[in-house]
Amino acid sequence: MEKKNDYRISFFKPTTAFSKINRNLVIILVIIWAVAIFGFQILLKVTGKPTPENSLITFEKVWSNIKDGNASPEEKIEFADAVLSVLGKSSIMAKPQKKETLNNAFSWIVYDMIAEEEKEHFKAEISAFEQLKANITTLEDNDYINVKESIIEKVAPILHLENHSLKAKLIPLELRADEMEIFTTENINNIHGIMKLYLTHNQSFLTDTIVFGFPFHYFYTAILLLVLFVILCWVYCYKIDKVHTKMGTYDKKKK
Amino acid sequence: MKKYALILMLLFTATFLCASATALEGSFRVGPAIILISILVLFILVGLFFRAKDTTDYYAAGRGISRVGSGMAIASNWMSAASFLGMAALMYGSGYHGLAFVVGWTGGYVLLLILMAGQIRKYGKYTAPDFIGDRFYSSGLRATSAVVAILISISYCVGQFGGIGLMFKWVMGIDYTWAVIIGSSVVLAYTLISGMLGVTKNMQIQYVIIIISFLIPLFILTYKFDYFWVVPEIGYGAVVSDIVKGIPAPETANLVNSFGHDFAILPSPEYAMPWDPSTGKTFFQWIALTFSLMIGTAGLPHVIQRFYVVPKARDARWSVVWGLFFICILYWSAPVFSAFGKILSTNPEIGVLAKDAIVVYTAQLGNVNPLIVGLLAAGGVSAAFSTVSGLLVAGSSAFSHDLYFKVINPKANPKTQLMMARFATILMAIIVMCLAMLKLALIGQLVALAFSLAGCTIFPLFLLGIWWSGSNKKGAIAGLSVGLFITAISLTYFVAGKAGATLPFHEFITYWLGAWYFAWIGAPLAIITNIIVSNMTKETPLEIRKFLVEQVHS
Repeated sequence: MEKKNDYRISFFKPTTAFSKINRNLVIILVIIWAVAIFGFQILLKVTGKPTPENSLITFEKVWSNIKDGNASPEEKIEFADAVLSVLGKSSIMAKPQKKETLNNAFSWIVYDMIAEEEKEHFKAEISAFEQLKANITTLEDNDYINVKESIIEKVAPILHLENHSLKAKLIPLELRADEMEIFTTENINNIHGIMKLYLTHNQSFLTDTIVFGFPFHYFYTAILLLVLFVILCWVYCYKIDKVHTKMGTYDKKKK
Repeated sequence: MKKYALILMLLFTATFLCASATALEGSFRVGPAIILISILVLFILVGLFFRAKDTTDYYAAGRGISRVGSGMAIASNWMSAASFLGMAALMYGSGYHGLAFVVGWTGGYVLLLILMAGQIRKYGKYTAPDFIGDRFYSSGLRATSAVVAILISISYCVGQFGGIGLMFKWVMGIDYTWAVIIGSSVVLAYTLISGMLGVTKNMQIQYVIIIISFLIPLFILTYKFDYFWVVPEIGYGAVVSDIVKGIPAPETANLVNSFGHDFAILPSPEYAMPWDPSTGKTFFQWIALTFSLMIGTAGLPHVIQRFYVVPKARDARWSVVWGLFFICILYWSAPVFSAFGKILSTNPEIGVLAKDAIVVYTAQLGNVNPLIVGLLAAGGVSAAFSTVSGLLVAGSSAFSHDLYFKVINPKANPKTQLMMARFATILMAIIVMCLAMLKLALIGQLVALAFSLAGCTIFPLFLLGIWWSGSNKKGAIAGLSVGLFITAISLTYFVAGKAGATLPFHEFITYWLGAWYFAWIGAPLAIITNIIVSNMTKETPLEIRKFLVEQVHS
């Protein structure tokens, strides 16, 4: 029975049959909507565990010996490789201070592994390359390419890297001539935090399961949720249209 | 027919005039410039052909737009530079956190539909302040909400003008400041000429251009780099997983970017893993941002205003479904650019790229034909244009209709009102242009600020105004004041931070009331305040309640 005499509207206290149906439908859809969005993210948060990349495990294994100056050649190689794996991440480029610390660490350890009699020449070569890099107008510059290749050929074997590998190609770009001799105390203090920051990720079965090539959580948030939104909207319109048809209450065209 | 032939001819000519795309920026690009100019001319011609004849046309496009047409207009109006350029930029820069924008900017439509769309159309007003002034029987609230609507439009437009500037800069090879000035002048001229009827028609054309220009490079990129290219929106899943695991450099150099770097990347799980420590973004920020964007969606004046242009409430509802579907096509696709961009730009030789232009850079780095990259840039401009024109109309409507006509000069004739609307449009465009030159934040972030403002102010008034007749004038004033207070705190700290100043509790406030997501607390507080004060003060007048019962909820 419709009750209009008091002319009061409240979502939670509907006074007409249509309002009741509408309220129930809205509540159901909002619950689905909220659980689908926020419920999943909460689940993702709860199940996520900080998981280190292999490079961090390696770094932590060798770090104390590197710091104390007792590292073996193999440990130095592992250290350089771990640092390079963070320097190769594009996200580090936006953080110049952190990148500087890693450049210092990498340059220092590589310089340390260079044969004593070649150190001076190596440093000069890196310095010349840095100048070239700053002055070239195109990456196809022959001098630039030649020096770059020469550095890769020299350092990659020391680090046990294939010349064409991605890490090997990073070597000339990440060495700094003026940061080779000393690994500064400040950088020594900071490097562990930086490595941990870039090599630890929140992972769980939701991120490790693959669906259509995606990590599941990514697929769910980027694709599936949007499909759900369209379906929720469609269901609402369809249901409301049906109720209007049943009740004969379609709105007339308004001018 | 002649028009299509002319466009084809221009495109054909442009193919031969295209320059090489090796350098990411810096030179004038003939092909893309011709495409851009052709598209802009097309918009102005359509605008002229369907120009506004009176205030009804100007404000609400004569209420003669179909559901699908209105859905396209909603999508085009919505798909701004923030969607086209900014979203990929945010995912490129902060990984999974960027998906908060994808979810926030689509999930809000569910709220908008089930809580407001039909009722707003039934209420039958022209503008958001019109509704607020009328529902809460207060010219003061009308004026305040008109000012808020103008502020929202300005804040939203700043990001758009920034996007237009970036694309004009890319095409013309000119300085960013000049690019903003030229781009702003063109969008202003276009909005002034056409008004909303032209804008609505244009929006449908713009949608087609935006979506085609956005999708073509995706097919090319997925095909070229050997992923499932038939549906790039699914095919890029493997790209995301490859970024997480890493792609080793190939033995033979067959897959390379435009600089000759291998299509390879070291393991980078930070791109896809949730709330990765290296991004500096947290779970709370993700949730707060998503929530703010969603309620902001349901409170944006230029979005709400679109429901006035459909003939019936039923059409308003279905236009949301269509609009959301059209929007989702772009939102499913945007992450593809960021994923490819991540791999293609990983070599340090490329340097730090302007994130907001990553969509275009990705296509360039992926060796996509320069003409198609030009079309992509033109699509970016179209996206910004379609939104800016809608925003300028919403802002100028708020000024001329809600401030000038309803408060300052109720005797103003339609001609004077239209003149005031155009004056307001020019003034707003100049203010926005100046702000855009400051490059205060990323496009997506600037737009998110407008959403939080709308979520704190307009959304609570609409929600309670429609669904609870007990919400009265004093409750609305109190609620709006709280919303504005929260906004003022957040913006003060944001501006202070930009100016290099540190205010008391700076870190605490900027974290919990961040400029992109302060509505997470502002909106609930505004709603609670409105309810408490309404319950303590005199009831809503009978005629308003009667109108709600008989017209809006009948």
